Amino acid sequence: MRRTPSFRRRLFAGFLAASLIPLLACSAMMLQIFRLRMASEAEREMAEHLTAAAAALDAAIDAFSQAAARLQNGTVAARALAEEGEEDTLVNGELFSAAGEARTYAAFDLYDLQGRWRYSTRQIPGEERLPTGWGALRAASEPGEPLRLTACGDVTDTESPLLRGAVKLTAPGGREAGYLVISVYYAGFRQLLEGKYGAQNDLVLLSPYWRPVYCVEPSLADALAPRLRSRLLAGQGLDDPAEEFLYAARRHEKSGLYLVLRRPQVFTEETLRLLYTVSLGCAVVCVALSIFMSLTLSRQMFRPIQRLRQGIGEVEHDNLDVRVPAGREDELGELNRRFNNMVEALRRNREALVENQRELNQAQIRMLQAQLNPHFLCNTLDTMKWISKINRIPQVAEMSANLADILRFCISPEEFVYLRREMEILERYVEIQEIRMSGAFDFRVELPEELADCLIPKMILQPLVENAILHGLEGAADGAVEVTVRQEAEMLRITVRDNGAGLPEELAAGWYESLSPAGKHLGLYNVSTILTKYYGEGCGLFLENGPDGAGAVVTAVLPARREEKEPC
Amino acid sequence: MKRICPLLLAALLAALSACGAGEPETAAYAPAESERLVIYTAHKEEVYWPIVQEFERRTGIWVDVVAGGTNELLERIREESDSPGADVMFGGGVESLESYRDCFTPYVCTAAEIPEWFRSPDGLWTPFSALPVVLVYNTKLVPDGGVTGWADLLSPRLRGRVAFADPAVSGSSFTALVTMLEAVGGDDQETLRRFAENLDGRQLEGSGDVVRSVAGGTDLVGVTLEETALKRIAAGDNIALVYPADGSSCVPDGSALIRGAAHAENARRFLDFTVSREVQELLAGEFCRRSVRGDVEPQASMVPLEEIPMADYDVAQASGRRDAVLMSWAFYLGEEAEP
Repeated sequence: MRRTPSFRRRLFAGFLAASLIPLLACSAMMLQIFRLRMASEAEREMAEHLTAAAAALDAAIDAFSQAAARLQNGTVAARALAEEGEEDTLVNGELFSAAGEARTYAAFDLYDLQGRWRYSTRQIPGEERLPTGWGALRAASEPGEPLRLTACGDVTDTESPLLRGAVKLTAPGGREAGYLVISVYYAGFRQLLEGKYGAQNDLVLLSPYWRPVYCVEPSLADALAPRLRSRLLAGQGLDDPAEEFLYAARRHEKSGLYLVLRRPQVFTEETLRLLYTVSLGCAVVCVALSIFMSLTLSRQMFRPIQRLRQGIGEVEHDNLDVRVPAGREDELGELNRRFNNMVEALRRNREALVENQRELNQAQIRMLQAQLNPHFLCNTLDTMKWISKINRIPQVAEMSANLADILRFCISPEEFVYLRREMEILERYVEIQEIRMSGAFDFRVELPEELADCLIPKMILQPLVENAILHGLEGAADGAVEVTVRQEAEMLRITVRDNGAGLPEELAAGWYESLSPAGKHLGLYNVSTILTKYYGEGCGLFLENGPDGAGAVVTAVLPARREEKEPC
Repeated sequence: MKRICPLLLAALLAALSACGAGEPETAAYAPAESERLVIYTAHKEEVYWPIVQEFERRTGIWVDVVAGGTNELLERIREESDSPGADVMFGGGVESLESYRDCFTPYVCTAAEIPEWFRSPDGLWTPFSALPVVLVYNTKLVPDGGVTGWADLLSPRLRGRVAFADPAVSGSSFTALVTMLEAVGGDDQETLRRFAENLDGRQLEGSGDVVRSVAGGTDLVGVTLEETALKRIAAGDNIALVYPADGSSCVPDGSALIRGAAHAENARRFLDFTVSREVQELLAGEFCRRSVRGDVEPQASMVPLEEIPMADYDVAQASGRRDAVLMSWAFYLGEEAEP
């Protein structure tokens, strides 16, 4: 009983391990795959957005360059800046046509060499004066790219230009004439980039030195840019684990600006918590299921085993009537069924044994009963013999004497006698029968001297001879009964042969077998029973008819033993 | 199974922590160490921001700016003297820089147009702008010509109505105090005592409070720098500015190269840039400051420097007696405040 819980616990642990570990492994793997998948997806998406925004910027920069080139090729504006001798409408016309579509998102202004404002595509003019040694105008004077963009001022100021580029214009003849200044304002950037980078994302434009230039929410850029810059300078990635955002940056080659895209974290704390909760829920279900399964299964296994145990206990206590319900059609059911069969076989065996014993006991009781008052009968027979002798009736005297001898022989306590002695008694009996039947048959005994001291159960020949006389010689004129003793191998064969009518067909069939003493063959039955009980298999009575069906031949087969010893 | 369990767990953990941290992909965008510069600045953003931005644009050097108060930053430089966090201290009166001279390395900038009297004798600092000490008064409460010089601040009619910042906190206030001692002449201790008495033991916490207090009418007269006064006047405050007739001082603010700077070469380029003609023109044109360069004229509205009466002021001497003056000042002011 003490092993049950441990068995259950082991089952439980097994189930738990078999269910929980794959579950956890699966969850972790799914989570990881999911996360990687989402991250790469987000990365790809962000790269696409960045590409779209960069393309928009590219188009704008190209438009600026083209405008500058057109204006450079035209002569009106340059001459106007250099000599101030042109019609304003003509200059404006050239400026407007050079700017083209780009005017919608950028302001084009013309400044003279001293940095004074002259012409503009905007309603409101730009700054009256721009320092020529500073900022955009200075950049325009430096060698290198014709159009250099300079981030200016405050990202939160939506009314001032956020990005400015200047190109020096030369009048015909190679003389410097003035500057074309292109300014992009908040509204212009917004128009350029609106809808290019996803609704949930934020795009921040940074200067080549990672100062904020533009964001649709200027205050965000103002707060974010220094953080991004310091992270960049510190050599860290842009993504801050503490933040719920992902960042992607790209350098825009044509302008030198950086585009930084901010995207809400794909895996927020909340989603993670949800996933963890689901996994945990599954784990709990697993545990519950494991407990349930282990209990059920252990009960299913344990109950038949328990019944079997009880059954075996019962058998130990000699109760062979016990039966274990077979239950299901599985191995345990089979085990129970076989146990049942085994107990059944055991019970039958024991019943057979008891029956045998009972029969033996009955035979002994019969023998004991036969010994009742034996001395009284012997004495009476002796008295009868003497009275017959006195009254000269010799036959009676002889019969009485023979009968008394037989009687004494019968009631003697020993069970085994020498064959010689058995023959003597047999002869006494034959003498009585000869008197009874007035000498109507011939009796012969053939006993080799070396077999005369074999031991046989007493009184086994008399019934055979009696049978031969009473049944075989009935009505025969010159009947003969012959008893021969032979030894074959270790077996003693005592044959009683008559020349009478022979055995009925159903009897003359070899070994005598009969289960019950009922019927006419009580003698045969008794002898056969004694022989088989004493000596077992291979011994008994062998019945046959003589050659040509004349006379019965009954052979008692038994081991040839000479010394007094217990039969096996 | 007992042996497999930990293995599985380990595998799980490994899988979970597989989100590795490699080299950030933006690393390529970060500048090399030779393209960096860290600046501590006491200037306001409106001053340093255009300069820094232009410097970046011209040189391609990434500038990291840490802004703060003069004394706070100087303290920080002293604390970090073993491994300096910055390369340049940009801004702060040169006396303050002098008093932290251990933290700096001399550098004589290349600009030749800086007059001798604006230069550091040993090149410890590079001047940025000249800042004369001035008096301001509320034009509604004080008649024109009501205040002319330092002597007025000692007169009983202004008792308790003078705005003066704590010289221990404000560098400009300390400069003003020493200028006053030089201008008034006589026994310094006596002057300190009388001034403290006239303040009624009340001094303002910072130099920014002075003009505000005068413009608001709390005080009638205040002591501040020309730049601050001009800026507020331009912003429309009803105050007027007076150069003390008995003598002002024109102590420049400056920048200095920090000793052991990691990016010393870039720092020198920055120092040169601060005294370049463009920057000096910018500060003269936009910031109401006086350039330290001889070839940059002040705005037309400004009184030329030569017309301002100057007291005998020596930077090295002033910074040398700083502790003594401050101690006496605290003593007299505390004595006044006591009763």
